[in-house]
Amino acid sequence: MLVYLHLAALGLYGLSAALALAPFAGFPVASRRSTLWVAGVGAGPALSVLAWCLVLLQIGSELLLRAAAVALFTAPLAGGLVGLALLLGLAPGAQPSAGRNMWFILHVTLSVLGLALLALAFISAALYLLQFRELKAKRFGQVFQLFPPLERLDRLNHVALVAGFPALTVGVLLAVGYAVRYAGGMHVDPAQLVWGSFTWGVLGWTVWVRVARHWAGRRAAFASIVGFAAVVLVYVALKLAQPGTERFL
Amino acid sequence: MSIAVLGVNHRTAPLEVRERFAHALHEVPGALARVLEAGAAGGVLLSTCNRTEFYLAEPQEAVPEAVWTLLGERLSGRGDRGERSAQPYGYAERDRDAVRHLYRVSAGLDSMVLGESQIQGQVREAWETSRPQAGPVLHRLFQSALLVGARVRTETKLGTGTASVPSAAVAVASKIFGELAGRSALILGAGDMAELAASCLVAEGARVTLVANRTYERARAIAEQLGARALTLDEAWSHFADTDIALCSTAAPHAVVTWERVAPAIAGRGGRPLCILDLAVPRDVEPAVGQLENVFLYDVDDLQAVAGQAAAQRRGEIPAAEHIVNEEVERFWAWYGGLAVVPALKEFRERLDAVRAVEVDRALRRFKHLPPEDREQLDQFSKALLNKFLHEPTVALKAAADRGRGYALLEALKELFGLERGDGP
Repeated sequence: MLVYLHLAALGLYGLSAALALAPFAGFPVASRRSTLWVAGVGAGPALSVLAWCLVLLQIGSELLLRAAAVALFTAPLAGGLVGLALLLGLAPGAQPSAGRNMWFILHVTLSVLGLALLALAFISAALYLLQFRELKAKRFGQVFQLFPPLERLDRLNHVALVAGFPALTVGVLLAVGYAVRYAGGMHVDPAQLVWGSFTWGVLGWTVWVRVARHWAGRRAAFASIVGFAAVVLVYVALKLAQPGTERFL
Repeated sequence: MSIAVLGVNHRTAPLEVRERFAHALHEVPGALARVLEAGAAGGVLLSTCNRTEFYLAEPQEAVPEAVWTLLGERLSGRGDRGERSAQPYGYAERDRDAVRHLYRVSAGLDSMVLGESQIQGQVREAWETSRPQAGPVLHRLFQSALLVGARVRTETKLGTGTASVPSAAVAVASKIFGELAGRSALILGAGDMAELAASCLVAEGARVTLVANRTYERARAIAEQLGARALTLDEAWSHFADTDIALCSTAAPHAVVTWERVAPAIAGRGGRPLCILDLAVPRDVEPAVGQLENVFLYDVDDLQAVAGQAAAQRRGEIPAAEHIVNEEVERFWAWYGGLAVVPALKEFRERLDAVRAVEVDRALRRFKHLPPEDREQLDQFSKALLNKFLHEPTVALKAAADRGRGYALLEALKELFGLERGDGP
């Protein structure tokens, strides 16, 4: 059963790649310019890039950690992100007020990479908990056979979390620097600031307990899931509360 | 004459029941003696973690009851003798079916892990332990069973793949740790299974760092072989804080790894997983230990379930293995039938000769006038006549025994002439 799911996931992989490449082939789904520029402004291009980052990280984790089963989650997620990007439109939603420069490009690139790594940490944590449950319950079925070993998933979670948090942090700091230097100061909504700081704090806590308190295994997996859930929930809440706010995501 | 097997196995009884029936080697002679007292010419007790079986030669009617009573006492425990019966968990086979059963056991066809090879050694051990009480028929039967097991493993692929309990232990540990290279293992007890599993782990790169046993000397002997440090059991509990894998295989009749003993050490592990492989029957590890965070506890049944998955690939070899078993059953039965023909023919001849002697004596009493030479002639005539009558049946019976059909004819002969019943003329 899981073999077929894995094949379906690989199919979605291909679909997500095809969708992301569609603009290059001249299909009208999006402008070619938007995907050529990593730092495209607007949700569509950013989601598309996020999907690409996920796919690249998935390939990396397959090659380095032989964690092929991660594709069961990353591929549908990447496919879904690209689909959503197409629905939103891959053309830039807005032009940054001070134009594009290296600060801006790095800000978006690192932020998206950070989010992709956090998503990978979330996925590996979910796989860890599934495999943990199977091993504890002494069920030796498809999950036991096809999912990676616990320690490998724990290591993937650790690496993704420890790399993702600094990437996201630097991405945010670059945004602040960009705003101060090129856009005439910070124009951030107080709610965005408060909830952004809260999310950063939660993510920081998950990394802190991993690195400083040496959490591992199930506790670390739960912490990782909490961190990613905080990112997604705060993002969705802000999006719903303030639609159309000018930012890349 | 007959052969029977009575026992319980993994198909008929769960582990909690089987572990009560398990006999240590030193218990075998006493248990066999009790069963043989009920009336049997010989017996072998095969007791492993998966089965406890009494193989009996020429068992009398009271023997099954003796076996179920003996096992029932173990099921009930001391103090309430005989209150619970073992019979609902048991089975019985006779004659050809009993022989076939042993051959299938020895070939690994009846194992929980199809085709596993450890049973071969266990059959040998049972035979050697029971040898003084086995008798010639079971001696031959167990010898042939070992040959059947070897033949099946050589001529089929039933024994290929990693479907044994030790290899399943490695597979489970690998699912927790990924690479086993550099992982540390602690061995509790000095059982053969633990040694086997330890050698499998070492082959994967794990290091056996500690060996603990009730007797320090035995622990040291194994530790020296594996390049590890020897401990007594009481010294081992604190090492649950730092070891990755614990292999338990003591001969203790109750759980030695208890929550109270190891929970404090395990609490200090942080989030690091601990894999405990309990290979002992009765189990060494209290089930509550498995409830501790990040502790993965597997007993023999669990590991056999893992190994059973590999067995699926072996199922294709079953027809070939069964063919060998059936061939060998017929061969043994031919020998066994032939063995029975000689004493039966002797008894048959003696019975008819007695009839002849009585009738000749009666005739000679009527012909008192005959001279001694004629009386002698008459006696010789009756003997020649008897030999003529017996010649064909004797030749036919011996030929049938050579062809492996002697037993059926023998049974007919016994029935027709009332042999072994002592109800002749």
